[in-house]
Amino acid sequence: MPGVNDVNNNMGFKMIKIYFSMFIKTFFIQALWNYERLQNVGFLFILKPFLCKVYSDDDKRKEAFLRHMGFFNTHPYMASLIIAIVANMEKELSKCKRGGKKSDVNSVKNIMEGPLAAIGDSFFGGTLRYLVAFVSIFILFLFVNLFGNKFIAYNFWIPLVFIFFYNVVHIPVRFLLMFMGFKFNMEKNIFLLSSFKFMFLGKILYCSEVIVVIGALILYFKFLFFGSLNTRLFGNDVCDILIYSVLFVLSIFVSWKFSAVFLFYSTIFVCVGISCLGI
Amino acid sequence: MTSFISGNTIFLAFISTLCSADVITMGQFMIYRPIFCAPLLGFFMGDVSIGLWIGMIVEMIWINAAPIGIAVPIDVSILGILSTFWMCKYFKGLHEAAIWGLVLAVPFAYLYRLVDIFGRDFNTKLMHWIERRVQNGEYRYINIGIFVGVFFFIVKTFLFYVFSMIVGGWIYRFIYLELPTFVLKGFQKAWYLLPVCGFGMVMFNFRKIKRLFKH
Repeated sequence: MPGVNDVNNNMGFKMIKIYFSMFIKTFFIQALWNYERLQNVGFLFILKPFLCKVYSDDDKRKEAFLRHMGFFNTHPYMASLIIAIVANMEKELSKCKRGGKKSDVNSVKNIMEGPLAAIGDSFFGGTLRYLVAFVSIFILFLFVNLFGNKFIAYNFWIPLVFIFFYNVVHIPVRFLLMFMGFKFNMEKNIFLLSSFKFMFLGKILYCSEVIVVIGALILYFKFLFFGSLNTRLFGNDVCDILIYSVLFVLSIFVSWKFSAVFLFYSTIFVCVGISCLGI
Repeated sequence: MTSFISGNTIFLAFISTLCSADVITMGQFMIYRPIFCAPLLGFFMGDVSIGLWIGMIVEMIWINAAPIGIAVPIDVSILGILSTFWMCKYFKGLHEAAIWGLVLAVPFAYLYRLVDIFGRDFNTKLMHWIERRVQNGEYRYINIGIFVGVFFFIVKTFLFYVFSMIVGGWIYRFIYLELPTFVLKGFQKAWYLLPVCGFGMVMFNFRKIKRLFKH
């Protein structure tokens, strides 16, 4: 007959398995993204093994499932934290014999999804992705300048650098947020989040990004005017420098007023126009 | 082996579908970004360098094209993948052919956007179906619904890629061969000028990011 410790160990092992499956499922949170309730099915898909485990009563379980069919939308990476906090709350609710405060669960979801989406969008979408993409582009121009046409031997590293540096931040953040959500209560999590210097980190990344972009721009101009590209596109050095500089400044203003598609097609149109004039 | 892969449109369409699935359906590991998926296609077609340069141009010009909230921007992976595929298949190594591929890939990306919106509408119906099942206590339909959603996405994206790689390829080759010389020369210039525009777009975006952090 198994002892109390064996039963506890088995329970603990099963819960770890459930937590791990929940973490893997977070990668599919947007799999059934819909216009009406956005990520609701994805949220329920992640929470499903946990709800099935903690609710033994059929009616209570059904109530819990239907509670999470409502609207849910946040940044997919930051959702891990909300899921873990909600799971903890559901665990507490399942232990309450009188039902507990069920509305609190949805309130917590509603309160947290907006701010976390804003943090996720500005940190991952607006800073980290830009930075990592430009580190790759910087390396590309560095290789072009260093090795000329021989950079072909090293070029396959560049996309791998992009994927590696992005995911080496993204996957641990997802894991840590889920771990934090399960480990601590809601107040502690909010305290930890608010004490984390997102703004400071964002500013550091932003500054690095500016440096990397300016570095890449300098390397690109070095390649165009002093590198392996011997032929001048527009006749002579002065004409080339003038056209490149004007186009660079113009593209900043075009981006301000128009879309990326307009910028793209207008550049093509200008290039064809210049060629038509025989320059 | 390389020639077999580069000639196998079905295989390349499947690889491209997996890249596009990363946008929302699974992962968000950023394999859908053109800086990764265009060189990947280039690798399978035997020219990583051109794929990398195309990916770099698309990445910079469409740097802020990412699905946030209910916004559905054009899928930038399609731009990188289709232009690399067409160029490597029909006019390998020609810069002007790569730019022509990009010019033609933009309308295809808009077409895919419509297909994507249709898919998201279909997901709404699927979600209501799951809700009815959950009301009856049949929770396994959540997993089935997710599986159907992923499967439907992969099928529609795969069919789109097969269609655009074959039909788009015919249009691409047919029009390219008829283009006058001055247009081709213009495309050659654009190969080096588009990254400059990309830098302009990025410089503009810096202003937006700074504003985000001010709040």
